[in-house]
Amino acid sequence: MPASNRLFAVLALAAVLAPRAAFAAPGLDPTGSRAIELLHGFWSIVSDVSGRAAADGGVQTSHPTPQAISPAPAGEPAVPLDDLSKPTAIESHLRAALRPRDGRVRVTVPGGTARLGDFSIGSNESVPGHLLVVRGTADVYGRLLGNLVTVEGDVVLHPGGVVSGDILTLGGEVRDEGGEIGGEVRSFRSASVLEAPLQAQPAPAPGALEAVVRRAAGVVGVFLTLGVLGFGLVMFGRPNLEVVSDTVSHSFGRAFAAGLLGQMLLLPTFGMLVVGLILSVVGIVLLPFAVVVYALLVIVGVVGGYLAVAHAMGETYTRRRLALGAMIGSPNSYRYLLVGLGGLAAVWMAWSVFGWVPVAGELIRGAAILVTWLLATAGFGAALLSRAGIRENFAGRLIPPEALTDEYLWATPQFGVTAAKRPGSRTPTRGL
Amino acid sequence: MRRILLPALALCLGAPLAAAQSMRPFSTYRQWHGETRVDARLEYTAGALRVAPGGPNELYRMDVLYDGDRYLPVSEFDAGRTGVVLGLRAIGEGGLRVVSKSQLRQTAAVTFSPKSDLALAIALGAVDGDLELGGLRLTDLTLQAGASRATVRFSQPNTTRCRAATFGAGAAELSVLGLGNSRCDRIAFEGGVGRVTLDFGGAWTSSSRVEVKMALGEVALRLPRQVGVRITLDKFLTTFEPQGLVRRGTSYLSPGYDQAARHLDIDVTTAVGGVTATWLE
Repeated sequence: MPASNRLFAVLALAAVLAPRAAFAAPGLDPTGSRAIELLHGFWSIVSDVSGRAAADGGVQTSHPTPQAISPAPAGEPAVPLDDLSKPTAIESHLRAALRPRDGRVRVTVPGGTARLGDFSIGSNESVPGHLLVVRGTADVYGRLLGNLVTVEGDVVLHPGGVVSGDILTLGGEVRDEGGEIGGEVRSFRSASVLEAPLQAQPAPAPGALEAVVRRAAGVVGVFLTLGVLGFGLVMFGRPNLEVVSDTVSHSFGRAFAAGLLGQMLLLPTFGMLVVGLILSVVGIVLLPFAVVVYALLVIVGVVGGYLAVAHAMGETYTRRRLALGAMIGSPNSYRYLLVGLGGLAAVWMAWSVFGWVPVAGELIRGAAILVTWLLATAGFGAALLSRAGIRENFAGRLIPPEALTDEYLWATPQFGVTAAKRPGSRTPTRGL
Repeated sequence: MRRILLPALALCLGAPLAAAQSMRPFSTYRQWHGETRVDARLEYTAGALRVAPGGPNELYRMDVLYDGDRYLPVSEFDAGRTGVVLGLRAIGEGGLRVVSKSQLRQTAAVTFSPKSDLALAIALGAVDGDLELGGLRLTDLTLQAGASRATVRFSQPNTTRCRAATFGAGAAELSVLGLGNSRCDRIAFEGGVGRVTLDFGGAWTSSSRVEVKMALGEVALRLPRQVGVRITLDKFLTTFEPQGLVRRGTSYLSPGYDQAARHLDIDVTTAVGGVTATWLE
């Protein structure tokens, strides 16, 4: 036993640690492209920081060095700013157009210009066409003969300043200090134009260790929930649970067949119920309640049946240990349920620990699903056969008097008395 | 089941954040450039709405906090007819979300210039509205409310003559206060189910004709003493308390109706419900 425990511990440790190696980063890129990217990124950071210092005299702001934005290459979609009445559509176009390509932003504004960083129109200036200002404040002292759009920047309209068209700010506001705006002003104080779109950034795959922990946490959570439900069931419906559990133990094949048939008849029965209620006209009023009740009954049947299977497994295991002479404090339904759920959880826990293994992981998962379905089907069938634990016909409790022999009674543990180990080779497991 | 539990847990934990992210503030306005008239339509589907007179230098303004996953702000100005459409339109892409109603409460504040004649059409869905229309230059008013609770006030006199004010309500609770200040020649209300309060207080400068049609619900009339009031009822299963009114034929008249300089003639057609009339002091 200690040796097997140690072996299991080593295997578990290996399972937890090995994924790190399996998912390790690939080796160095022989083409050196990653190194070039790193250098380019570093140079961009240096340029940006020096640009900020030059523009603001050392005061740190988020606005980059003022500069023109080059037009996008031919074939790239342009961003027309003629009509700003659909601001969210403009926002979508700009989000796509302002995505950096090769480390640079390029935008084509038909009939206009695009600027990066702060931009101002002098009091004697008159700028024809539309103007797009990205990551900068647009100060208007002079005249802009067109529409004005800013992305992550404000518009300040100084006295005497004129914008003949509309103004749209995406992530900024308009401060009208006495200028004239010929068109309409629209402002989104928060915008996500310059953030990478969610679709383009797939969520990073969780690390293998993280995946193991998450799966294990999921399994623990589910079986803890089942445990709580099971304890409630034992507390408030113990006789019914024991009858269903005994039905699983004594008539497993019959219970499984009934469960399989029940699953196949679930939908037709539901359909007949609905049609019947509709045809009866009066029953139409009851239809919503009937649907809810039917769904609840199915859920209770499946979950209750699964818990009964766990109870049966735990009871069988515990009685075997008792029969072998093990000292067990309180062999009761709570213990049976706990032990059974532990056994059922072990299958899924194996998947959560070894699920990262390429082929075996999928096999374990498939096996866990299959086992769970088999047992849930048997449990559901037992619940049907025993009419939710009311009928004992298949629970093996109707023992004929001739079966109550001295040997039978001797091997059966009575209340508070642990079973004595039976001399000989066979351990009684059935009919207890 | 694990696949259900984990997303459910994530949903519960992440719901407040997601809700906060989807609400967007949006503002729009237009400077007043001497426009003498504006034809405005306000479409607001859900949330809280306030309407009030604005500053003298703005033709209109709308500040809205809206659910970006489900609605789009509307701000369309037609320079040809000096018309504007403001509000929120549903885009129907939000799907099902499990968050509290207060987290996704939309709010909007809309103002109009008191210097331009205003023909205003308002369409409300499920809205909690407070509309202060006094002090504007209202020439026409149309309000259609779906399942809303709205209060329309004329706290100050309308600064121009109003041709007509038409109110329509599906299953709504609508209160119109200070109709005497509205200076509307004709006032009409047509409602399906609900409760409507028509308060005719205010400064009456001319006579007015009012038509009320209500299918099922309660009509509360608050009548002014300074004008002659005549109520004509066409009712089926409706109760009416003619408090302080004198019956003449099929109508109920206030004392001194014939001698009054200005008249308020109210025609009420209702099927099931009640009509109450109280006097304003």
